[in-house]
Amino acid sequence: MQAFVFIEVKEGALVQGSLEAITAAKTIGDATAVVVGYPELAAKAAEYGAPVICVKADGANPDEIVASLEAVAKAKNADAFFFAGTQLGKDLAPRLADRLATGCVTDVTGLEVVDGAVLYTRPAFGGTVIEKLKNHGKVQVATIRSGSFDKPAAGAAAAVEEFDPALGDVVKAKIVEAAKEITEAVNLEGADIIVAGGRGMGDAEGFKLVEELAAVLGAQVGASRPVIEEGWISRAHQIGQSGKIVAPKLYIACGISGAMQHISGAMASKYIVAINKDEDASIFGVADLGIVGDAKQILPLLIEEVKKRK
Amino acid sequence: MEILVFVKQVPDDGVEVRLDPATGKPATGSIDKVANAFDTYALELAARYTEANGGKVTVAAMGPAGTDSTLKNLIAVGASKAYLFTDPSFETGDEASVACRLAQLVKKCEAENGAPFDLILCGKESTDEISGQVGARLAEELDLPFVSSVIEVAPAGDKLVAKQETEDGYIKFETAMPAVYTIAKPGYDPRYPNIKAKLAARKAVIPTFSAADAGVGEAPCFVECLGYTEPPKRQAGLKVQEKEVADTVAKAMEILIQDKVL
Amino acid sequence: MGYIISDDTKELLKDVKEFCDNEIKEQVKEYDIKGEWPKPIYDMATEMQLTMMDVPEEYGGLGLSHIDQAAIVEEIAKADAGVAVTINGNGLALKPVLIAGNDEQKKKCCDIILNGGWGAFALTEPDAGCDAGNGKTTAVKEGDYYILNGRKCFITNAQVADFFVVTAMTNKQFGTKGMSAFLVYKGTPGLSVGNHENKMGIRTSITSDVILEDVKVPVENRLGEEGTGFYTAMKTLDLARMWCAVIGVGLCQRCVDEAAVYAQQRVQFGKPIWKHQAVQFKLADMEIRTEASRALVAAAIRLADAGLAYTNEASAAKCFTGDSAVQNAVDAIQIFGGYGYSREYPVEKLLRDAKIFQIFEGTNEIQRMVIGRSVISNH
Repeated sequence: MQAFVFIEVKEGALVQGSLEAITAAKTIGDATAVVVGYPELAAKAAEYGAPVICVKADGANPDEIVASLEAVAKAKNADAFFFAGTQLGKDLAPRLADRLATGCVTDVTGLEVVDGAVLYTRPAFGGTVIEKLKNHGKVQVATIRSGSFDKPAAGAAAAVEEFDPALGDVVKAKIVEAAKEITEAVNLEGADIIVAGGRGMGDAEGFKLVEELAAVLGAQVGASRPVIEEGWISRAHQIGQSGKIVAPKLYIACGISGAMQHISGAMASKYIVAINKDEDASIFGVADLGIVGDAKQILPLLIEEVKKRK
Repeated sequence: MEILVFVKQVPDDGVEVRLDPATGKPATGSIDKVANAFDTYALELAARYTEANGGKVTVAAMGPAGTDSTLKNLIAVGASKAYLFTDPSFETGDEASVACRLAQLVKKCEAENGAPFDLILCGKESTDEISGQVGARLAEELDLPFVSSVIEVAPAGDKLVAKQETEDGYIKFETAMPAVYTIAKPGYDPRYPNIKAKLAARKAVIPTFSAADAGVGEAPCFVECLGYTEPPKRQAGLKVQEKEVADTVAKAMEILIQDKVL
Repeated sequence: MGYIISDDTKELLKDVKEFCDNEIKEQVKEYDIKGEWPKPIYDMATEMQLTMMDVPEEYGGLGLSHIDQAAIVEEIAKADAGVAVTINGNGLALKPVLIAGNDEQKKKCCDIILNGGWGAFALTEPDAGCDAGNGKTTAVKEGDYYILNGRKCFITNAQVADFFVVTAMTNKQFGTKGMSAFLVYKGTPGLSVGNHENKMGIRTSITSDVILEDVKVPVENRLGEEGTGFYTAMKTLDLARMWCAVIGVGLCQRCVDEAAVYAQQRVQFGKPIWKHQAVQFKLADMEIRTEASRALVAAAIRLADAGLAYTNEASAAKCFTGDSAVQNAVDAIQIFGGYGYSREYPVEKLLRDAKIFQIFEGTNEIQRMVIGRSVISNH
């Protein structure tokens, strides 16, 4: 099976989720990476073992990207086209699927090939239910949820092929302004340790304890949806169904009660520590270590202990 | 400005959905059905746009007969008209089927409305399936400009500027009309209905059409659901609670070091 | 729930509940501590038209049935009794106007409420609480005006009211038959409002003295004939007791809700405490009191709607609900144990809020006198 992967570029770098999608593609056939625009990054993409098609087009505009991928898929008779489960990936995949008159599966967490057919697993209903799906269409289009596959090890560079789709004027939605409002570097997907806070931190002041513990642990800061809605921290930190899906070695949940919506985003963590004053909070049901107590009182002491042992 | 908002009725996402052991399917029967949250954001955005710039908002849904109750509620919070499309054939299919049908329903809605729509809005995803495909596929079906995760729409001459929320900021897109946008959570909440509007809306009769009435034919379907499972459970571990907070922390530290996580 | 309401009203109730859950329940905690009138909440409630449920349909009102209205007020009271008391304050001010006023007066006051304004009913005086007929406030007729002098106390909404219904003695010799009721609008010279009362509970409602110093009130602002003020006030109180009981039911229900959730969470001796019979019985008694209170209220509303006498039933509802709210709050605290006594938990506030329901709109002792006398007169 010829499986193509759209390699997303963000701020001059390859997006981790796209690299993970290469691994996903390899589980069902031969993977080919597709970079749209950014010819300077084609060689970098080739280091992950899949040959690269470098498309001559504007890699910033979604209309150009979809048209490019459609041209690649048709020219190369693609059997599958995978995307990272990013905002852009989730926009492009259904559009491409519609153009190729096929089905699309988003948020894929697992893949297997049975009797030549690709079977997908994906969560629905906020993560409480897992669906098993089969796409009967002629092209397998899917977005891969971050953290579901490891990214391939970098090694000897594979071949790079230039491709000119000779696009006409395909842009219907023109970018007139783009801005970055959140300048802090938040890398929840790649973090080894995440300290996340919830409503139980009380207020913005209380939430600072979460950031302080993260600082002494060299960890990234996460947050549940209510915290984002209260504005205690920017939405770049949101973990859960409507935020980032993470899989750190250590996940410390402070004052988070554990709604499925949030837990489903952190379930893949290796070790979960939960701090909550409600001893029956559902977060304790998934925690390797539960600390029963007010996070606002526990955290200052925990910060001191960690400092002492450093 | 004529705005059409497509609405999906979903089980209240405040309630956790589990599998029914008898059928092996998600047990949603006893859960209250509500308008998908993102669709209500779309309606609020549309209502605010027309209040500021003139025009009116129409809502439409495909769904079972009871969906008219949800549509009535939307008439109380900014929609001026509502249409329901209900047909046994609409109960099956995947996102491709839904988008294909919606594309045809736009025409029926325009005929009923007596005017074409300048903007078609959907929520960016539904809170049940969370696949986020329908808006994008609908734009493709209609061959119209598409912008996703929009949180603000502003007029720009004979065009529109849509502000898309991104992970770390925003992108503004300019599109011609008509266009299809999907809506994320703007910086405001949907309004509460006032009592008079609510009581009047509850008395509204929602025009309801079958597939044949609406001229909707066969729709493609590619993705088949083979079955459902529950996510793997994590085993709950140790719980620490001592009389003194300091002792609790000390004991927790001990375990963390013993488990080699710190 | 003991009220039988239509499916459409159930949909409306869902909105009210959502509003209460999202905008009132948590927010009032801070206002309760500060004793501050939560204007943002009232602005939103006005937007939803919750403050105008007492305006009759013929004056542009909403056309809700009294049972529908009761279900809505109860929902608000569940979130915060003080907010319900404030909203109900508009109804309290409007009732004497609807009972005794002429068409023009009714229209004017209804318009004020429909435009988001507030009304206040000023009957109680420092030396005339339950003994309302013994008021010292006077109204002396001078030409086309009455000159009002006196002091009213514990007046709900006084600081925000756009109109006041004030009772005053036009002829002291006639006792209660010498009392008249007047409409006094905000801004009338000589009308002032005292300090906000620092109350034990329902701290999200505003309560103050109203001071009348040579307030000139045009004759056309008199409600009904001279000397009918006491009758109007008593009729108003009959209705007010019914609505005050509605709020009490909401408090009762909130106590049940809080206790029932906590009793399932809290584990002692290896099981959730609700599985201990002592706790189960308490919950059952709380539920019985709540349902009985609601049934009494519903009975009074039915009688009133049918145009039948309901004074005793309103008194019984008010009295029983007030006592039930206090007892339910006491029991809820007991179920919460030590945490129930802590301000970190929601139930101590319920007791502070509940206590007034044995006191205002006629103390429960007065209600028992009313009922007791009627028992004797009927036998």
